[in-house]
Amino acid sequence: MSSSAVEAEAPDLVCQLDNVQGMVDALSAVRWKRHQDAVIELSEHGIVLIVEDSNCLQAKVYLQRELFIQYEYKAQGRPKFGVSLGLFVDCLNTFSVPGHSGAIEIQYPGPDMQLLLKSIDSSDACIYAEIRTRIPETISWDYDFEPAGSTPLSFTCKSAALKEAIDDVEWPGSSIQITLQPSPPSVNFMGEGHGYLQIDFMYYVNTDLLTAFHCDRLVSHRYRYKFLRATTANLPSSVTKDNRGSKLTIGRGGMLKVQHLVSVARSTNTHPYINSAGYHQPSRIAYIEFFVKPEADNDDS
Amino acid sequence: MKFKAFLTDNGVSLLEKRFLPALDKLGKLCHLYLTRDHFFFLHNLLNGDGVQSIAQFRTPALFDDYRISSQNDDRIAFSVDVSLLLRAVRSSAAVRTDDGSAASSDQDHCLQIKLVKKLPANSTQPLPFLTFETKGHRSAVIQDVPISKPLSRALVLELQTALDAAQSLPMTLVQVPDMNQLQGFMDRMRHVGDSLNVSISKCGDLHLQISTTLITLGAEFQKLLVIGDRAEAPASDRNLSAQSWFERAITRGDAQSVQVSVKHFAKSLHCHLAKPDCAFYGIGEQGSCLTVIFQFFIPGSRQTDKSISFHCRLPVLDTGSN
Repeated sequence: MSSSAVEAEAPDLVCQLDNVQGMVDALSAVRWKRHQDAVIELSEHGIVLIVEDSNCLQAKVYLQRELFIQYEYKAQGRPKFGVSLGLFVDCLNTFSVPGHSGAIEIQYPGPDMQLLLKSIDSSDACIYAEIRTRIPETISWDYDFEPAGSTPLSFTCKSAALKEAIDDVEWPGSSIQITLQPSPPSVNFMGEGHGYLQIDFMYYVNTDLLTAFHCDRLVSHRYRYKFLRATTANLPSSVTKDNRGSKLTIGRGGMLKVQHLVSVARSTNTHPYINSAGYHQPSRIAYIEFFVKPEADNDDS
Repeated sequence: MKFKAFLTDNGVSLLEKRFLPALDKLGKLCHLYLTRDHFFFLHNLLNGDGVQSIAQFRTPALFDDYRISSQNDDRIAFSVDVSLLLRAVRSSAAVRTDDGSAASSDQDHCLQIKLVKKLPANSTQPLPFLTFETKGHRSAVIQDVPISKPLSRALVLELQTALDAAQSLPMTLVQVPDMNQLQGFMDRMRHVGDSLNVSISKCGDLHLQISTTLITLGAEFQKLLVIGDRAEAPASDRNLSAQSWFERAITRGDAQSVQVSVKHFAKSLHCHLAKPDCAFYGIGEQGSCLTVIFQFFIPGSRQTDKSISFHCRLPVLDTGSN
C-alpha cells in the first residue's frame, strides 16, 4: 500500500476521552481572553495545545496519551494545526451535559482538514462537531526556557495561594516584581505604582504554603501584571479542591515558567472510595505551563 | 358580550404552575379566544412571524359554570399580557391557600373570572378588563387585568381561520426522548449560530445542526418513536454520517429538513414548563413549518388527556429540502 493511500484512509489521530469536562478545565486554564488562536500539535506522546500573547506570554497544555482511553496515532512527523481556542472550548462544553459521562472521540483530520468531535456514550443519541482548522503561522515563538545557572531557581507553592497572591497584588500597578532570596529563604511579590503592596512567602514560616524552595542567590525580575495574572486567572476549581501545587521557575534572562497540574479524571463524587484510589493517579493529570517574559527594562540583580 | 366562569382548583393549578409560565416565555402578549366549548391561548396567529403556539382547553378542564354569550356565535377574543394574567392567577391562588378556604365546601366557586368594562381613574372612557374575584374564608380580592378591546367580527374570523390552518398535522412525528437533555444541548449550542437545521426522518431520526463558517455542531437522535408515515432505513446506509444519511433519506423522500431560528427553537423548548408527558417534532407539509406537539396524559394513566392540547409552530427560515 502506498503512503498516499494510507494518508487518504487513516486519519492522523483518533482518540477517545471518557471525561470531556477534564479537558474543558485544562484548556480553560489557558484561556485569558475572548479571541485566542491556538496551535495544536499531535504526536505519539499526546496532544499539545499552545497559545501566545503579544510575544510576552506563552502557554502550553500537555494532554498525554495516557489521559485517553484510546489513542491511535498514525501520522508521520508531528501534524500541527491552528484553531480558535474559544470555539474549541465552547464546543467541547457542548459535550459536557450534566448527568452524562461526556465520553467523546476526537479525530484529525476530517475530509476537509477539520477537527472532528463526537460523543460516544450513547448509541441512539450522538452529538458531533466539526471545527475548521487553519494552517498555523510558521513564526517560531522564541520561548526557549533555559536554566539560569547550574542550580535551579524555583519554588513550589499551593496553587490556590499563588492565585490569591497574584490577585492581591493587582491594585498597586501594572508591573509586579518577583524576588527569590536564599536568606531568609523566601519569595516576594511586590507591586508598586498607585500604592505599594508586598506579599512574602517565607519558606520556614509556613511549609504548607511553600512546599519546595531552591535558590542560592538573590534574583529579582519584573513582569507585566496582566501576563502574570493570566497564569492563574482561569485555574479550574478542581485545582483548589484537589489542593494542588504550582511550580514557578526563573530561567535565563528572567523568563518565568509557571507549571500547574489539572485533574482530567472523571468526577467521582458519588463514589468516594474510587476517588481516594484515583486521587494520586498521575496519568490522569494534564500539565499546564506558562512562560512569561520579564519586562525589558529590568535589571538582573 | 358576556363571559363569566369559575376557575376550578385543577384549572388554577394547570394555569398557575404549568401553562402560564410556559406561555409567558413564548411571548408577552397572547390572544385569549373563548368559544362555547373551548378556551384558547394563542400566540402569533394573526401576525406572521414568531413562534405560533396554540394551547387549547375544553372548558371543563379549567372551569365550572362556564357562561359565554356574544353576537358573534358566542365567540370572544382579545389580547392580554400573559405575565399579568400569571400574576393575577398566582395571587388569587395564594389568597385562597392563605385563607385556608381550599378546604371549605364551596371551594369550586370561589375564583370567578369575568369580562367587565370599568372606568379607570383619570379616564373618561370605560376600558375592558378580565376580572378575578377571589373569595377567601375571611377576605375577598378583586383583580382587574387590563385586556385589549375585543376583536372585531372580521378579526375573530381571521383568528379562527388561522387556528384551523394551524391545526394541520405533519405526516410524520418523532417523539423526543428527553426534553431536558435537548434543552441542555440547545443552551450550549445557542451561542454558536443563529439558525438551526432540523431534519426528521420517517425512520425515527431527529437531526439538529448549527453551522457557521468556522464550526458545525450537531446532535443526532436515532430510533425514536414514529407516529404517522414511517419507513425502514436501508441497512446499507447505517454506516454513513448523519449528514450524508439524511441527504440520501431526503432524496428517497423518507426525510425532510428545514431551517429555523435558534431563538425560536429555544423558545419552543420552554414549553416544557407546561410539564407535558411527551413531545413530538414534525415538519409541516412541504416544509412549511416545524411543529412541536405536546401530549398530556390523564393523571395516573398513559391515556391522552383529550381535553388539553398544546402545540407550537416554528416559522421556517429557508426550506432546506429544496
